[in-house]
Amino acid sequence: MTVPEVMAEVLKDQIFFDESGGGVTISGGEPLVQTVFVEALLAACRARRIRTTLDTSGFADPDVLRRVSGQVDLFLYDLKVMNSERHQRFTGVKNELILQNLKMLAERGCAIIIRIPVIPGVNDDGGNFDAMSEFLSPLGLRNIDLLPYHKLGSDKYQRLHLSSPMEEFEPPTTQQMETYAARLKRDGFTVRIGG
Amino acid sequence: MNERVSRMRQATIETKPWLSIERAKLITEFYSQDKTSSIPMRRALAFQYLMENKEIYIGKDELIVGERGCAPKATPTFPELCCHSLEDFEILNVREKTVYSVDESARKIQKDEVIPYWRGRSMRDRIFAEMTPEWKNAYEAGIFTEFMEQRAPGHTVLGDVMYRKGLLDLKEDIAAALAKLDDWNDSEASDRREELRAMSTSADAVIRFAERHAEKAEELAAKETDPRRREELRRIAEVCRQVPAHAPRNFWEAVQAYWFTHLGVVTELNTWDSFSPGRFDQHLAPFYQKDMESGALTREQAKELLECLWVKFNNQPAPPKVGVTAAESGTYTDFANINNGGLKRDGSDGVNDVTYLILDVIDDMHLLQPSSNLQLSRKNPDAFLKRGLEIVSEGWGQPSIFNADMVVEELLRQGKQIQDARCGGISGCVETGAFGKEAYILTGYFNLPKVLEVTLNNGVDPCTGKKIGKETGDARGFTSYEQLFAAFREQLHYLVDVKVRGNNVIERLYAEFMPAPFLSLLVDDCIAKGKDYNAGGPRYNTTYIMGVGPATCTDSLSAIKHHIFDRKTISMDDLLQALAHNFEGKEKLRLSLWNKTPKFGNDDDYADAILSDVFNAFFDEVDGRKNTKGGCYHVNYLSTTCHVYFGSMTGATPDGRRAGEPHSDGISPAQGADRKGPTAVIKSASRLDHARTGGTLLNQKFSPQLFEGDGIDKVAQLVRSYFRLDGHHIQFNVVTADTLHAAQANPEKYRDLIVRVAGYSDYFCDLTPALQNEIISRTEQEALAR
Repeated sequence: MTVPEVMAEVLKDQIFFDESGGGVTISGGEPLVQTVFVEALLAACRARRIRTTLDTSGFADPDVLRRVSGQVDLFLYDLKVMNSERHQRFTGVKNELILQNLKMLAERGCAIIIRIPVIPGVNDDGGNFDAMSEFLSPLGLRNIDLLPYHKLGSDKYQRLHLSSPMEEFEPPTTQQMETYAARLKRDGFTVRIGG
Repeated sequence: MNERVSRMRQATIETKPWLSIERAKLITEFYSQDKTSSIPMRRALAFQYLMENKEIYIGKDELIVGERGCAPKATPTFPELCCHSLEDFEILNVREKTVYSVDESARKIQKDEVIPYWRGRSMRDRIFAEMTPEWKNAYEAGIFTEFMEQRAPGHTVLGDVMYRKGLLDLKEDIAAALAKLDDWNDSEASDRREELRAMSTSADAVIRFAERHAEKAEELAAKETDPRRREELRRIAEVCRQVPAHAPRNFWEAVQAYWFTHLGVVTELNTWDSFSPGRFDQHLAPFYQKDMESGALTREQAKELLECLWVKFNNQPAPPKVGVTAAESGTYTDFANINNGGLKRDGSDGVNDVTYLILDVIDDMHLLQPSSNLQLSRKNPDAFLKRGLEIVSEGWGQPSIFNADMVVEELLRQGKQIQDARCGGISGCVETGAFGKEAYILTGYFNLPKVLEVTLNNGVDPCTGKKIGKETGDARGFTSYEQLFAAFREQLHYLVDVKVRGNNVIERLYAEFMPAPFLSLLVDDCIAKGKDYNAGGPRYNTTYIMGVGPATCTDSLSAIKHHIFDRKTISMDDLLQALAHNFEGKEKLRLSLWNKTPKFGNDDDYADAILSDVFNAFFDEVDGRKNTKGGCYHVNYLSTTCHVYFGSMTGATPDGRRAGEPHSDGISPAQGADRKGPTAVIKSASRLDHARTGGTLLNQKFSPQLFEGDGIDKVAQLVRSYFRLDGHHIQFNVVTADTLHAAQANPEKYRDLIVRVAGYSDYFCDLTPALQNEIISRTEQEALAR
């Protein structure tokens, strides 16, 4: 699709954005892999005064991120595991770049919601939450969405006769989620479960 | 609700409807004796005879009194309009759905007294005798229906007159009008005199009816041992001596005044879509305020009185149809619809304390009747909308939501005064009217996909092989889509002509033979004009024809345009062959028509532009034609359950729909055709020019989860968005398909499951399997935001 084609779809919903305060969320995969397209789309939205949100893992070229930061109304920024080794084990990359980028956006005054996908046994240990709190607090980032891991995709793997790489993990219970939320709220964060 | 209301609610749910022969017997007795009065006077005297002689019922818990039949759920018949055969009685007694039990004595009276007198004299007999072969052909083929063969023209709603004036005051107005009659210069003066005398007599009839309730209450009070109930009965007697003879002085009297008025109207004739209390919250507000200030009433007491009234509405099942078949489902609902909120006469926000009180009552009662709606203006607060949506989210189909600003705009376009428009609202399902000032008569549904079917078959109905339309050319010879559409327009023109010619005759039959003097009393300006409600007495006189299946028709035209003329992937001959054989052996073709056609409901310009063309074609044919009462024709788009009947009368259609399957309902997308979610549906639906209709109906089916969390806020935003786009109405069916399947399998466990059908709610278990399946198959929207 071209940017004008996407904009034609976007503008169809403008009246709903007016009523709800909503807009366009650019998500992925990692949208910042397709820099040229994303920048053009953001510029087109800005020209028509459509609110934009960028949903990113933060694993991106800092220069690109700096450039788009002026075009985006809100970042949804993933934070997964604070220990860099563990981060590499579960995502394939270390997290230093991600944390640096987040710090840079925070210092530029961008609106950011931190999104933590919670997977029991991977990143729900107390140490991880402690480290997150310690990192986020001085940056003035107050809003966190806790996203419980779900298995909605496993049915699709089955239908495609593939084995799910995540089969060994179970979703957290509601009670677990409440406990994690309470933990973060204690440090002054505004926490939503889901979102 | 308190214990009293809880007991009454239980009773009205559990009591089974039964057919009461009382009214038919009294009416027949009267007509057999009186042979000399003028027609209006004869109607009024017959009404008086009924009100003087019918059984008076006061139930042990009741505060608001009066029944149409001799007891709750006793349903009268109206043989002067349509006279049931003994076979009808048998079917009503034994059919699976919407049963009305009929006892032996009723059958005997029907056989010995009622049928012999009314055969050939009922309005239904008169109407069918007058209709032309062209009309009968189209009618029997399912091109259109005719409302007035079963019920009298109705569709009106009370304005504020009964809250300001007593019937004695109205009698004085009549006396003044009589005194002004000019026999020397007005050739119609003697007709007017008879009509005015009839109105005056019918006022006496209802005053007497109320008085008889007072007498009965006093009689019961004398025997009552419980001092609290004795006091209540004395109060009831006092109320019934005040209203409706005099104007109400307080909240209780205002509610009772309405109920006697309502009973008068629905006993005089079985008017279509019953009768409704108009802007009830606004009418009651001054009484409520005054009583609250003086301490005469608490909010709880006001709520109890309203809940007693709600039970009364639910006690009155719709009069059963004649010519019924065993498979046919009727409905018990008689379409009284309570309007809430909206605008005041001066154009300001109409939401008040009573609005929220009534919403609490609706929430408490969960009854089939009365139906309820929000009149939502941009001036109304969101709190009002969200309170309504909380009730919607409970999943029993009420209230539906209307764009009050649009209702005003529609009425203005039709030429109403601005203040009359603001005091208007909707009745029945979605029909716009100027309350207390307009006769807006729905005359029948019109099967748009069938018109296309007849066009494709050069004037022949392929279901019967009979020629019912005009020869508009062999479709195989059409070389462009425009040529096809021109043929469709020509066919539409011919068939609307046939319908309107029939309507003209029927209107005059009602004007001449079936005046409604009591209803006329209540509607401006019948007294001033000395003319009946059915003869052009009201300030505004509108006739409607209701377009059915616009989406099915649009998708079918879109399929032809797309596959045959644009892409040229299918030939007209192949398509017609496949349709004639209901796609047998042509499943691949059917699936490409079904899946690969741009369809209405997806915010897709290709399909939505065709919808506009269909809309304009129907509008141009109907709107502005003159009726016989000084008013004119307009269109609206609702189907109630008629899209199921029309579907059953229509063969396979080019959109891939199989023969006999239902058409799309209201202006909703065809079942399963909308695949881009509710915002796309709303965008497409807004392509209709709602301002040029008298109402449209959009159904959306949501699962209850959608209302959880901040769901209500999101649905509220969706509603506001649709109304910013000038949508007329939206309603939500909030149930899961699983629940409905379970209810189908175990109806006994789901007897109280109410679903929104099409402009009204009904018990799911009372619907036919076809209609049940259709409701299940309506696209279930999973989530709004993702």
